[in-house]
Amino acid sequence: MIYLDHAAATPVNRSALAAMLPYFDKQFFNPSAPYLPAKHVREDYQSAKAAIAHAIGAKGTDLVITAGATESINLAFTVVAGLDPATPHLLTLATEHTAVLSAAKPYGCELIKADHTGLIDLADFRAKLTDDIVLVSVSLANNELGTIQPLAEISEIIRLARQDRLAHGITTPLYLHSDASQALNLLDINVSRLGIDLLTLNAAKCGGPKGVGALYIAHGVPVHPLSLGGGQERGLRSGTENVPGVIGFATALADAKKHLNGNRKKYTEMVELLKKELGGAFSASARSSLVAPVVTGRPRSSSAVAPHDLTKVENAPQVIFLGNPKHHLANFLPLSFPGLDAERLVYKLEEQGILVSTGAACAANKATKSHVLAAIGLSDAEIAGSLRISLGSTNTIDQMPIVARALIDVVSAEIARQNH
Amino acid sequence: MSKKVFLGMSGGVDSSVSALLLRDQGYDVTGIYMKNWSEDLPGMHCPWAEDLADAKRVATSLDLDFEVWDFEADYKTRVVDYMLSEFQKGHTPNPDVVCNELVKFKLFYDRAIERGADYIATGHYARAEDANLLRAIDENKDQTYFLYRMSDEATARTLFPIGHLTKPEVKKIAAERGLDVATKKESMGICFVGEVGIKDFLSNYLKTIPGEIREVETDQILGYHDGAIFYTIGQRHGLYLGGGLPYYVVKKDLSKNLVYVSRDLNHPELWVDQLALTDLHLRNGRTLADLAKMPDLAVRLRHRGELLPATARVVETNTRGDQCSCEEHKDSGQRPGASSSKNIGLLAIAFANPVKRPASGQSAVLYAGEVCLGGGYIA
Repeated sequence: MIYLDHAAATPVNRSALAAMLPYFDKQFFNPSAPYLPAKHVREDYQSAKAAIAHAIGAKGTDLVITAGATESINLAFTVVAGLDPATPHLLTLATEHTAVLSAAKPYGCELIKADHTGLIDLADFRAKLTDDIVLVSVSLANNELGTIQPLAEISEIIRLARQDRLAHGITTPLYLHSDASQALNLLDINVSRLGIDLLTLNAAKCGGPKGVGALYIAHGVPVHPLSLGGGQERGLRSGTENVPGVIGFATALADAKKHLNGNRKKYTEMVELLKKELGGAFSASARSSLVAPVVTGRPRSSSAVAPHDLTKVENAPQVIFLGNPKHHLANFLPLSFPGLDAERLVYKLEEQGILVSTGAACAANKATKSHVLAAIGLSDAEIAGSLRISLGSTNTIDQMPIVARALIDVVSAEIARQNH
Repeated sequence: MSKKVFLGMSGGVDSSVSALLLRDQGYDVTGIYMKNWSEDLPGMHCPWAEDLADAKRVATSLDLDFEVWDFEADYKTRVVDYMLSEFQKGHTPNPDVVCNELVKFKLFYDRAIERGADYIATGHYARAEDANLLRAIDENKDQTYFLYRMSDEATARTLFPIGHLTKPEVKKIAAERGLDVATKKESMGICFVGEVGIKDFLSNYLKTIPGEIREVETDQILGYHDGAIFYTIGQRHGLYLGGGLPYYVVKKDLSKNLVYVSRDLNHPELWVDQLALTDLHLRNGRTLADLAKMPDLAVRLRHRGELLPATARVVETNTRGDQCSCEEHKDSGQRPGASSSKNIGLLAIAFANPVKRPASGQSAVLYAGEVCLGGGYIA
């Protein structure tokens, strides 16, 4: 089996798994209990939290452990709770994960445009950053395209807006939240350097266990608990601590950080190899339509879509590499075979033991079209033909020619079937 | 050139093996997922997206074309709304019978023919020979009870690729040929909700009105129910009348919202030796008179139920007449999209021995040997 869907789930890192195991039976104690063995568990838990926090340049006490990124996002958005949703107080990007868009909806939110590579449109952001906005939420890297957002620039715009508000006697606060779920294992993140007030982390995307996440909360950011109880996590997230989960998260994250540069280089080589092989195979029959969009992504104007129309593709197999050629996660290769049905490609590849995803896994299960790809202006044919390859710890460079060959075969077979 | 077939694929093992067999037989097969229902209801998850993915995976692995045909709006008006209105009249309709008649073997069939199909196909356990509908070889799985209202025209152009196989044989083929759906659970779609499931389903749409459950012999109040329309004659589960011997629903008074029960399994209301059938659908040009003359007539009162020897007597033909005093009979002839009026009549079916009374609105399906002659709704 060749697994190419690490953006959906990663296998739990072996050392993380080993580190977790004792906390299920031998050191199972409730960290809040008064006796000594429980105190040791409490200390281990706090050290693990501190290690996670350290990886993003924060302190353990700045983190609230949650049951995953979705909960972290929902917790972060309580910053705007109680404000009148008739006026938008929340600003987020049209290409954000469904967890962000759904959690934002009840509060009243405005969407910032993204360009055809998935990058935030900063001019649109500036225009929409009115004095009513309290929270801006922009993911560090997009989960379908791997496009990395210019968080430093966004944060600078926010800093200036705060100054401006101050100068005009406007007391409405302004915070920046970022969902770093996809980026944690491949990017150096420092919350203070990036000027981030709230940061969502997810263990399951970086070799940790599923059902564990965290929210970094800068000092003084008014987050409100979603559930009440025993007052754990500074009262912001009650419930007995998930000790093994947090130990696993910390271990996996430490391991990812250790191999950050090596992994980036390794994945870049793999992605380049795949692109070269695919580009080569399909350029023979469709060089002209291949050249322009390959590196730069899709042009936004709909008139330029014509060469990729469903009807035209029959004799011109082509591949379009999506996302931003410069600002992207090294392990992502989003691509599209316009006019083909990506779900069929997924099933055909699965027969050969190769597991990839269409767009995002959650969207595929609901049989709805990806809002991310629609938001960057792809045509329906391009969206229907889109796959997401995301590399990870299970992959080796030797697998890439096999993957490329299999992709070329199934794409050619599908085109032949369609033309039949 | 190979014959063009549109096959309804549900993602289950039966339609998946049907796809495989048709392809092996050299047909040009297009797999169609019929999207009839997608809504989750409280406590009921609708697995349509999972089923669609399973169907598409199988179609893809067999290199078949595959499409999704959306009949959701039609299913709502033709099947669900009809079902709700029948329940409100105190009947217990069977949604599968209606779905087959008005959606699968009507809308799906029409669209397939429009698209140039030579045949349509489904994974039902039944056989079609010309316009004749025959019982499946696997008596245990035979689904002609649900199919008796499909038109002769559609029957003549329908293939049932697994009608000559038993369920274990179908599962074996799926396993041998590596179909992932070989071990999949039976479809739990709305078409197959059981007795309790139907009640849960209905309670999302129909107002519940509490009423009394009384013992028929004593008129004593034994408990309370949440709407007489949800109860069926003969029903013994879901009454919550405490321990001891079970109670059976023997009578309903819809106007007073009363449900009458008895512990006496021999209560006369629970047994019948004849039934009146309305809204008949007679197959292959047979008339009511033809049925009355059948020497080897057999009746099935529920899916997989026993084939009961019976005789038929024509009570009334053609239009709804004055002879019929019962209100429900008049209503049942006016169902939207129902079969043509020539089939509306009243047929009395007599049994050699008394049978447990089936609920009104359920179907009685008539057979001569392996041939399905049609049937009607129990008055």
